[in-house]
Amino acid sequence: MLPQNFYYTKDHEWAAIDGDIATIGITDYAQHSLGEITYIELPSAKKHLKAHDILAVVESSKAASDVYSPLAGTVFAVNDELSSRPELMNNDCYNDGWICKIKISSPAEVKNLMTAAQYEAYLKKI
Amino acid sequence: MTEAKKTVLFEKHAELTGKAQIVPFAGWFMPLWYQSIAAEHSAVRKTAGIFDCTHMAVLKVVGKDAANFLNAVATNEISMLSPGKAQYSYLLTPTGDIIDDIIVYYIDVDNFMVVANASNEQKVKDWFNKVGVDKIGIDKNWQYKIIDLKDSSLPDAKVDIALQGPASAECIKKTFGVDVGTLKPLNFIQIRDKGFDLIISRTGYTGAKISFEIFVHPLKAVELWDLLLEKGKDLGVIPCGLGSRDSLRIEAGLPLYGHELAGDFNISPFQAGYGWAVKLNKKNFIGKDVATKQSQNFDTEVARLKIIGGKGIRPIRQFDGILIDGRCIGYVLSCAGVNDVQIALALIEKKYNNNEQQIGVYYLARNQGHIQQGRKDKVVIGEKLDTDIKGSVVERFEKF
Repeated sequence: MLPQNFYYTKDHEWAAIDGDIATIGITDYAQHSLGEITYIELPSAKKHLKAHDILAVVESSKAASDVYSPLAGTVFAVNDELSSRPELMNNDCYNDGWICKIKISSPAEVKNLMTAAQYEAYLKKI
Repeated sequence: MTEAKKTVLFEKHAELTGKAQIVPFAGWFMPLWYQSIAAEHSAVRKTAGIFDCTHMAVLKVVGKDAANFLNAVATNEISMLSPGKAQYSYLLTPTGDIIDDIIVYYIDVDNFMVVANASNEQKVKDWFNKVGVDKIGIDKNWQYKIIDLKDSSLPDAKVDIALQGPASAECIKKTFGVDVGTLKPLNFIQIRDKGFDLIISRTGYTGAKISFEIFVHPLKAVELWDLLLEKGKDLGVIPCGLGSRDSLRIEAGLPLYGHELAGDFNISPFQAGYGWAVKLNKKNFIGKDVATKQSQNFDTEVARLKIIGGKGIRPIRQFDGILIDGRCIGYVLSCAGVNDVQIALALIEKKYNNNEQQIGVYYLARNQGHIQQGRKDKVVIGEKLDTDIKGSVVERFEKF
């Protein structure tokens, strides 16, 4: 079940928005496609990002996959727990498997993201 | 590119796994895993796993000169075979390039079965046809025919289902009442039972000591798959996908065409550690002159490496550099995470391919961001590089 109040991208990232803060992660579809995740290259704090910039690299035994930032902003918190426990992304991608929090610099970009209903429809087509 | 085909077991995969795990591979929709790569890998080492190999090419070579034909196109010595025995071999071009690695089964007098890689099926068929038309390395009077045994309209049609791991012999015994546990490696039997007409051979691609491939009529493949899983349930037999097939063969040290054979580095059978399957003392075979030269002169060969691994360690990947004292001595060809280590097959300078030799690995750039940070996306032997992660050379093959 998709968290209904999150926003989604075509590349299967999610953003949970609270004021000018966005928490970012990958969706259940993405973690499932990757298989057992063994390594995550996390962004550094204070990193400035444009929307679609590479935010993280998630690697399983089969592939290295880039994670893009859904929105422009500055990273201010990183889920360091993922370094030693990358399986959190497989087991709980919408909660404990979050990647980082950014301070949103262009709030207008949120309208470019999909709602849960739109993402659900998108998943049915692929 | 044409749409991938569905194997006769496709509906089974769709029942057992989600659509994200079924991917095009060698022109076929195949399951990457059902449960997880790790669970399926472990099942083959501890109990047994069943693999859909029905995409693999299965050809029949028949006629009074079938053996002559095979001796001309394949590198190993066909006359060493007798009914019920199989042999690993290579098909080479006249210029010594590997067309495919194959297994030849001696079914009966003047009747052989050849199993080839799915990815090379058309290439092998085209090559056999060209050899016949242009009379390359064969006598124009030889009589033989090549038949596609996957054609389900044939009464003796065959496709491959692999059953690999310690419990596999017991599973076959429970299913068909035959004791295949005493079969020697590369030996096979033919049985007719329960409406099945089977070839059961002690062969496989997982390194498992007790392992079988079962050749069954394509229209009976689903029934056999279900039956083996039902009879094997209490023995811990589970379905396994391509992911564990790859990690198992890497752990065992077995080469994959395009990676440890031929491929970007045009690796010969001698470099791969399979010179014994190229019989240079044989009177003739296609590609013999070049193969003879290859056998005498190569500086790099395939090595098996054990590298730090587990959760939180960036996995090594194909083409990453292998280093000694900061100098690149070779490249990763394949790799897999097995328990908490990474096992890699690599092409390295031959002089360093010694057990326990310490090595380093240089990670190539995984994306554009890495390249911007100065990481290379290609390395060559001789280059000076920094070590990202450490490991060592281990025995070329693992015994289980």
